[in-house]
Amino acid sequence: MIALRQASPRRLHAAGPSSHTLRVGLALLCGLCPAMAQDDAVALRGATVHPVAGPPIEGGVVIFAGGKIQAIGDGQTPLPAGATVIDCEGAVITPGLVDAATALGVSSRDANEQGDEVTPHLHIVDVIDPAAPAFRRARRAGVTTAQVSPGNRNAVGGLGAVVKTRGDTVADMLVRDETCLRVTLGSEPSAGNRPIRFGTPATIYYRRPNTRMGVVWAIRKAFYDAMAYRDRKTVPEEGEPAASDAGMEVLLQALERKLQVRTTARAEQDIRTALRLAAEFGYETVVEEATEAWRVADDLAAAQARVVFAAPSADSSTDGAKPRWHSLNALAAADVPFAIATGSNKAALDLIHEVTFAVRNGLDRDAALASVTLEPARILGVAERVGSLEAGKDADLVVWSGDPFDPSSRPTRVYIDGKEVQ
Amino acid sequence: MNVRLPSWNLLLWLATLSPSVCAQDQVVVKAGKVITVTKGTLENAVILIENGVIREVGQDIEAPWDATVIDASDKVVLPTYVVAHTSGGMSNPNENMANVPYLTVEDAVDPSSQFFEEALRNGVGTLHVIPGNATLLGGRGMIIRPFGRTVEDMAVRTAAGLKVSLDPGRGSRMAKIRKLHRAIAEVREYLADRERREAEFAKEKEAGAVAEDAEFEEIDPKKKPVVDLLAGKATAFFYVPSAAEIAEALRIRDRYGFKAVFVLGPACSKAATRLARLGEPVVLMPELEVWETDPDTDEESMYCSAAELAKLSVPFALGIAESTRGRPTGPTRYPWWQMATCVRNGVDRQMALEALTIVPARILGLEEELGSIEAGKVANLQIVTGDPLQATTWVDTVLLDGEVAYQRSEDPRLRHLFGEAETTEDAR
Repeated sequence: MIALRQASPRRLHAAGPSSHTLRVGLALLCGLCPAMAQDDAVALRGATVHPVAGPPIEGGVVIFAGGKIQAIGDGQTPLPAGATVIDCEGAVITPGLVDAATALGVSSRDANEQGDEVTPHLHIVDVIDPAAPAFRRARRAGVTTAQVSPGNRNAVGGLGAVVKTRGDTVADMLVRDETCLRVTLGSEPSAGNRPIRFGTPATIYYRRPNTRMGVVWAIRKAFYDAMAYRDRKTVPEEGEPAASDAGMEVLLQALERKLQVRTTARAEQDIRTALRLAAEFGYETVVEEATEAWRVADDLAAAQARVVFAAPSADSSTDGAKPRWHSLNALAAADVPFAIATGSNKAALDLIHEVTFAVRNGLDRDAALASVTLEPARILGVAERVGSLEAGKDADLVVWSGDPFDPSSRPTRVYIDGKEVQ
Repeated sequence: MNVRLPSWNLLLWLATLSPSVCAQDQVVVKAGKVITVTKGTLENAVILIENGVIREVGQDIEAPWDATVIDASDKVVLPTYVVAHTSGGMSNPNENMANVPYLTVEDAVDPSSQFFEEALRNGVGTLHVIPGNATLLGGRGMIIRPFGRTVEDMAVRTAAGLKVSLDPGRGSRMAKIRKLHRAIAEVREYLADRERREAEFAKEKEAGAVAEDAEFEEIDPKKKPVVDLLAGKATAFFYVPSAAEIAEALRIRDRYGFKAVFVLGPACSKAATRLARLGEPVVLMPELEVWETDPDTDEESMYCSAAELAKLSVPFALGIAESTRGRPTGPTRYPWWQMATCVRNGVDRQMALEALTIVPARILGLEEELGSIEAGKVANLQIVTGDPLQATTWVDTVLLDGEVAYQRSEDPRLRHLFGEAETTEDAR
């Protein structure tokens, strides 16, 4: 995202790529010689391993070193000399969970910029607090990677990022910045805005949209403005190039399909609007929340949209959208790729319990596990590093006391980048 | 002996008189597995029910040829759950005034409430419905089954526990405690005064100043529930919101000498050692896991009240999420979630199961009738599709008093929630 960096130089990028390259190099080196002695090599032995990328292995072995997975195999897999061997008999190992919609580490005061309804150029990484207790709670519950997005009170909210749930600085935690641009439909962006009734508008709240129509228009106008901006850029007026505009640059990225749009839409009408806007402007969208996806599964499939379904345990209507227990079954039947996330519902349970409810309501177990590991990793564009247990990927994994979909089970050990976390 | 003979004859006569009635009321449940709760688990067992009561449980019981047979040979049968304390199913469980011991939930229970529908769907067969925790002396509860069109249909026992609560709500804890003491003291003063007047009345009667057939005034009905409580004729369901109030709750109970079942908020587990000394079972509010953040270190820690009590072997009864309107929400409305939450936090499986069966039955004084599958107990059974602590297990059939009260295959709301009916109208 060259253009973005030009528009807003980001200190985080400086640290990101170099350490990443270093780690990939290490992984390659280790991948070439798996039996090589590793000082920090760890071997987890005896558990049922669900690599997600392949079939489960009974009594399997997972070996990792240097923060990367070295090997996965059955009980016969040779262990590297000097490796710390941990007996996990009776346990179940899955990849670390990936939560594709969170506000982890963002204080509620910082999630929503109220200066404008369209703020595409805001970066969530600027407000993530690595020491926030929410990260600790998430990783203890088996979530090792999370998408963090700006709040849902703006029509166009800003840029989200994917982070690990452990790290001293945001740069340490960052897996991928600028993963998507948050757009919100429905009544949330206008909630609290007041229509003009008395005299002159005195506050910002008077100017902002206060209907669904107004919200959609704010989004549409933003993209029209971006298109006009692009035209000005390519055909400068009177020989003067237009001044660079950070927000417009972000929207252009979306229009050029270089940046995913994450549209929060719950009710059927909002999901359809999300698809209509995406078709109108030609951007790629992932539908978030998607409570009434059960009504529009076929349309989502036809539009080749992907879904980040939030909080399947939630059972009460939000913003007019009626949850149904077969929502995810309907998406699976229509072959719509989906992730399960906790989303913006304050009553959302730990991610694994959210999936457990989907399994209770009939979702296939393999699809359920993929929906909180590999599928969200793919949607977030970080599947080369996380989401499954494969040699070369980050050593993010969870050792469960039993079947992860058994509500009596709990994580007994959680590893992020090969380090056990508390 | 001479006196007893006729009664034996009478019994024999009754037995010959109603064979057809008996035959009609015989139900046999053939179960793949029976979780009796109190007597272990039986594989491939038969439960024989007669007139709504369990007659026999065992592996080699021959089913009477004319009994109604319920085939659950691929399923698990366990007693229906007993909820020892809930304020669900009433449109407004809390009176605005602080002291209203004369109220009764009999006047507030809404048989059509979705709370009861949901309870039955999840295998609950008995609930002690009692006023909410926002009052001090809050009124009488009643024990009901979540099945029936009227409160009378649903009633198992009227006039059950009396709600006493130490929830500070608005206002200071001290003021609330003082108010509660004052309310009880007023009743004691009334009783003392009444006793004095009764003695005078008796004297006057002796002197002929009052008519021979005149009777002394009855106890003021507004004060009667508290009078019963002080006389040990009623049990207080004593709500204690946090560990801070436990000492006071014990003091109040001992000072006035009433029977009390403690109903504990999730933050009470910090005083678990104190409760352990009681040796009595307690009731836990539905929220079992509580998170605390240390203001200095920002360290978050989670307490599970059930686990803390289990460590000290204090028996406890579990609650389920309440709702006054509409379906209750959140996972705590599911008994499987509540029990699994206990196990997840280190409670023994059997203890978790007992917390929704035999322990609440004991708390309600119904352990002779409910809470396990044993000969002589009421045939309140649930037939479920698997391990009752698993999320994927569903309640298939509920029998209350030996009769089918719920069947999943005929549950319109489930069909609706699974999108099998287009609209709610169709579902109905």
